[in-house]
Amino acid sequence: MSNSHANGSHRANGHSIADMVDLASGTVSREIFVNEDIYAQEQEQLFARAWLFVGHESQIPKPGDFFVSCMGEESVILCRDRESQIHVFLNSCTHRGMKVCRYDEGNTPVFSCPYHGWSFATDGKLAGVPYFKDAYKGELDKSQWGLIEVPQLRNYKGTVWATWDKDAPSFEEYLGGYRTYLDFLLDTWDGAGGETEVFGGIEKWVIPCNWKFPSENFVGDRYHNISHRSVDLVGAGPSGSGRRDTQERVGATALDFSFPERGHGTISFLRPNDGPIPSYQHSKIVSDYFAHCENERRKNYGKWSRFIPGPGTVFPNFSYLPRQPRTIAVWHPRSPESHEAWRWFLVDKNAPAEVKEFLRKYYISYSGPAGLTEQDDMENWNYAHNASRGAIARRYPYNYQMGMGHDAPSFDADGLELPGLVRNVTVAKAAEQNQRGFYSRWADFLRASNWDELASWRNGHSNGAKFHNGAAARAGSAL
Amino acid sequence: MAEVINLITIAEGARISTINGATAEVVNNPKDGVWVFAKYLTSPEDPDLVGSEDMIFAQDIAEVLT
Repeated sequence: MSNSHANGSHRANGHSIADMVDLASGTVSREIFVNEDIYAQEQEQLFARAWLFVGHESQIPKPGDFFVSCMGEESVILCRDRESQIHVFLNSCTHRGMKVCRYDEGNTPVFSCPYHGWSFATDGKLAGVPYFKDAYKGELDKSQWGLIEVPQLRNYKGTVWATWDKDAPSFEEYLGGYRTYLDFLLDTWDGAGGETEVFGGIEKWVIPCNWKFPSENFVGDRYHNISHRSVDLVGAGPSGSGRRDTQERVGATALDFSFPERGHGTISFLRPNDGPIPSYQHSKIVSDYFAHCENERRKNYGKWSRFIPGPGTVFPNFSYLPRQPRTIAVWHPRSPESHEAWRWFLVDKNAPAEVKEFLRKYYISYSGPAGLTEQDDMENWNYAHNASRGAIARRYPYNYQMGMGHDAPSFDADGLELPGLVRNVTVAKAAEQNQRGFYSRWADFLRASNWDELASWRNGHSNGAKFHNGAAARAGSAL
Repeated sequence: MAEVINLITIAEGARISTINGATAEVVNNPKDGVWVFAKYLTSPEDPDLVGSEDMIFAQDIAEVLT
């Protein structure tokens, strides 16, 4: 493995990153999905430096509560110490590396290593060392051998994020203007700023494909709707047709938002100024609840209530659906050939029990290993990956040219400041601006030596905060 | 060979003796099979420990007294 700068070009395992992610021609090499050395380089260059989602604070409400999560390939412990402070630790004993926690979640006063017995308090301090006086003569400096803790952690609206890079920018700077769109996932339905919680039970399963397949799918792939036609025919949606209540998208302006300097992306809809759209017609209680929330949302959000958020990805591997269903997915890399998908299901904490139960059933019928819609996606990703592994297949790149070289129509944003590169795809139906932005950022991470280089927006480059409308959105951009 | 003590089953409030001849009352059992938290009641070798709470390692526990 190498990341050499020989001859002025950045290379990964002998492949030029510029050749593998060629945004001028709109192509991406299959190597970045199947190559083991490139995968190893991702762990060091990307997952050890980016901000990663670890869990939700509602999973650890009490002192001593913990949830074992992942950051890239690393097992980590999200826990709340006796003083109620939240920590994220590497789940590995500092003596010989054994996992100090092998449960998914629970409550404990200590994390004890079953190998030799070193024991760590929930604040990470080394608390117990067998034969401390006899074998170590009381000389072991316990203060230097606590659990390895992330240098930066951020609890953002209940979601806990961390990075292994002490030099990474703050989480808010990492998000940039994308924060506007992420908030639609994390704020309550009525826009009043209340608390959100996750349903008990995080769904986890292995998908035999590279982690980037789902990340790029959620970053803004409107084009794959055809693959969900079967579930639409089933009519599993909460009003009896389709897979979700899509009426709110009818007549709306379809917009794609990309943040190529950060890698994030989402698709969304801007509704006309009209009345509320009925939803969740299968249950009067649920329908009434959401009608109430929608009315409150209009009061609290004003013009922003016209904005209907859609799927998105916070670079690199945090994806979500903000409305129907309302879920978070993290694609934990395990090898070039597979990743673990983890799904959290979100709900407003103060929602009635009947609403939570209805949503729980609807959400898991849509997403997760048993979810009808997710099954469609997994089928595509599995076989796409498998068909890209061979020596011949690797010679031929994927095509990301959709929309390149063509202006998008302008639209009336009604005065809303919409951060990012905004592309109106109402007529075109789809574009691949967001995917190109995602891979542009992926290439940045594999090229850059440090965060001084990665934080390009500090050097006067696009910071994703400027409003771009239609043709102006693409001025000076290769996307 | 002395009987191996199953730490998982030791309840809070139980009294234990250590291989150093001390006695202690279990105040918290994390049930990890490795440690218990206990308050020293007697400690002939180190009287300063009496009244203090500490973690006691499984292999340092000689017997469960009550």
